[in-house]
Amino acid sequence: MAGVEIGGGESKNKKQGKKRINIRIDMTPMVDVAFLLLTFFMLTTVFRKPQTLEINLPPKDVEVKIAESNLMTLRVDENMNIYWNMGIEIPKRIKFEDLRKFLREKAAENPKLVVLVKIDRKSKYHAMIDIIDELNLANLTRFSLSPMTEIDKKEMQRAS
Amino acid sequence: MPKIKKGRIPVKIDMTPMVDVAFLLLTFFMLTTQFKPPEEVEIQLPASHSEIKLPESNTMTIVVSEDSKIFLGFDSPYMMENMFGQPNRNRQAIEIKLENLPDLLIKARISNPKLRTIVKGDANAEYGTISDVMDILKKTQITRFAMVTNFKTN
Repeated sequence: MAGVEIGGGESKNKKQGKKRINIRIDMTPMVDVAFLLLTFFMLTTVFRKPQTLEINLPPKDVEVKIAESNLMTLRVDENMNIYWNMGIEIPKRIKFEDLRKFLREKAAENPKLVVLVKIDRKSKYHAMIDIIDELNLANLTRFSLSPMTEIDKKEMQRAS
Repeated sequence: MPKIKKGRIPVKIDMTPMVDVAFLLLTFFMLTTQFKPPEEVEIQLPASHSEIKLPESNTMTIVVSEDSKIFLGFDSPYMMENMFGQPNRNRQAIEIKLENLPDLLIKARISNPKLRTIVKGDANAEYGTISDVMDILKKTQITRFAMVTNFKTN
């Protein structure tokens, strides 16, 4: 093990030349403790911080007019069923797994596409995160969230 | 076979470099470790692909728990004391009522205009509550906020 040799470096000893005493300090316990602490800190350190999704809400009293052909409505009911429609078409159901590919295609077809997301109040928060995440992945950054009304619920029933 | 008695060479390994490296790593980990402060509520974060990092200072966190309770917290003890009084100085977040949220948000923004808003919701919280919180944010002119998520790889 690592040790330190300390010569008894006194001037008297040096002159006498032959009376040097070697003091050996056993470093083993210290190194043991150091390794113990090292393992502890290595195991407890968390490098990855949580990520965030940033959202910009539009100011309260700004109205934007959008052409019907550029508007897609995504409706999510409380059981995480997703329905989509363009303009005022009849909603169609889509599986969540197919959503990413579908949104990419739609975004490529029409760069001016605006998505209106309506999520049922009884739905879970992760539904909203999942949908916004998929929209971000498809580069559809122009979307808005609006409350789901009774009319929307009737629209969804028309689809199923 | 006769035993070889004198052919053994004592092998001494110099451990100094290894110990040096060990201490270097130890110092590194000791300095970089940040212990997680005790949380008021256990939050199961939803996952997303976003790669934006969470802001660290000047934050105001609105926590929505799984049973739709709302908590408000600040990263600095000074702000906590300012908003909730001396006894709550070192707490992470305080439970509040939805009706009181707008006033608290406005008060917080007046005492520190640089505050950044973070919404930390449980993955299984009801969307309605989050939607109410977002409405309040909109009404109090906080149009930019971050939602905490875990990183999803697929």
